[in-house]
Amino acid sequence: MTPAISVTGLTRRYPDHVALDDMHLSIGNQTITGLLGRNGAGKTTLLRILAGQEFPSSGSVQVLGAPPAENQDVLCRLVLVREDQVFPDLQGYPDFKVSQALRAASIFYPRWDADLASSLLKDFGLRAGKAIRRLSRGQRSALGITIGLAARAEVTLFDEPYAGLDAVARQIFYDRLLAEYADFPRTVLLSTHLIDEAAGLFENVVVIDRGRVVLDTAADGLRGTVTAVSGPVLAVNSFTQGRPVWERRGLGSQASVVIVGQIPPEDRDRARSLGLDLTPLSLQQLVVRASAGPAGTGSPTMRTSA
Amino acid sequence: MNTMIKVARYHLLTPVMLLGLPWACLAAVFAWNVVRGGDHFRSGLVVLFGMFFVTGLQRVGRWLPFGLALGATRRSFYAGTALLGVSMSLVSGLVMAGLQAIERATGGWGLSITFFRVPYVLNGPWYATWLTSFVGLSALFVYGMWYGIVNRRWGTLGLIAFIAVQVLVAFAVKIAYSQADVGPLRLRPAGQYPATLSALGLTGVIAALTVVCLVGGHATIRRVTV
Repeated sequence: MTPAISVTGLTRRYPDHVALDDMHLSIGNQTITGLLGRNGAGKTTLLRILAGQEFPSSGSVQVLGAPPAENQDVLCRLVLVREDQVFPDLQGYPDFKVSQALRAASIFYPRWDADLASSLLKDFGLRAGKAIRRLSRGQRSALGITIGLAARAEVTLFDEPYAGLDAVARQIFYDRLLAEYADFPRTVLLSTHLIDEAAGLFENVVVIDRGRVVLDTAADGLRGTVTAVSGPVLAVNSFTQGRPVWERRGLGSQASVVIVGQIPPEDRDRARSLGLDLTPLSLQQLVVRASAGPAGTGSPTMRTSA
Repeated sequence: MNTMIKVARYHLLTPVMLLGLPWACLAAVFAWNVVRGGDHFRSGLVVLFGMFFVTGLQRVGRWLPFGLALGATRRSFYAGTALLGVSMSLVSGLVMAGLQAIERATGGWGLSITFFRVPYVLNGPWYATWLTSFVGLSALFVYGMWYGIVNRRWGTLGLIAFIAVQVLVAFAVKIAYSQADVGPLRLRPAGQYPATLSALGLTGVIAALTVVCLVGGHATIRRVTV
């Protein structure tokens, strides 16, 4: 089956830095994937290239089986919601209003759902008649989310969609996204810094760092597979011997080692008898480690099949 | 074609600003002229042409990012916006021809005003006025679009370079014709019209420049990023 998004050897160079560096990535149809990474990791550049708003320096990009750049057949089935979206909100009269932004989206997206858009505006407490340049940051995010969901595009890209939204509004977004996804399955790629909060949404997780994919795995497979083992150095070393180690830290007689792989019940009993703490890493902790990597050695790369 | 129409509809979401503002500005200048009671601003029509330039510029500068976010391609956005500008020019040219006819019939609105009649350029039969103003307004709209695209692609420095190149080209053309001292576009001292070029001939030259702007704008927008 053709993946919804396929990226091969993608590189984007700017005069002063490399945003994407020989990236390889494949995202299946009708999945919700978290795109995670630090600021400047290359998330926005990747999303812009997928949406045909930016051009790669080299490499190939396929969305819905074809290159997206200047491809009307692909672009009309794709929506990108950006945190920094520029609207036609000129100073002066008349202001570009929320209702006009929604009407614009309804012109371009054949599967646009006006009722859903109205319902989302109501949920977010956003007035249709309000001028966009008078919206707060959170309200602009709410508008972007409304367009992204109501477009019902086959490929929906969210780039930090809820900047400035309060916790209640973010929960509305999560709930509505899942409800929409259940009713009208689509490929969703969501970049966010609120990793643990959104972790429950993701079927797959892609972590990028310095323009490269450092983690690309199914979220279910990830949960409980990376564990921090802490305790006395000798006991930690004994327990972790022969296991794939991702990170090792020591402080005096204590050590903390991050190991990859499921730990069977008998091994957990053994760890307990050795006086060791076994702490499963949260998704956020995983991303932090995957992005930071051991000092001076670059990021580790871990791939598992989705 | 379908997406071009969608782009045009997208622009028409603000009809007052798109269609009304240029004419409102012209009406204001005309009213000022009437209040002053005569021919105090015979170049008032420049305002309408200027507004078409500004509108073309804004329609790319401010409307392109959201247009691309909604799935339009650069090509379809450009073609749809240009189509809209040309259509607006077509209708506006017709309105100008009508207003010129009224101005003639009423002896300059009863005040001997020659606001909609511009010697040599817009002073012929209604169809010539329609054609010349249609081509002129289209040219300014498309020229403004090109400025907007250059600004979006290369920023202020690019815009300055763009203007500098045009100034150099204009000087080169002037020097070339001065040297040759022949041909239908031979330049004359300031204040004189090129006697060997009729108003319709001038319209043809502007139409050719419009095509140059269209091609140039299209070539420039192809690699614009947002």
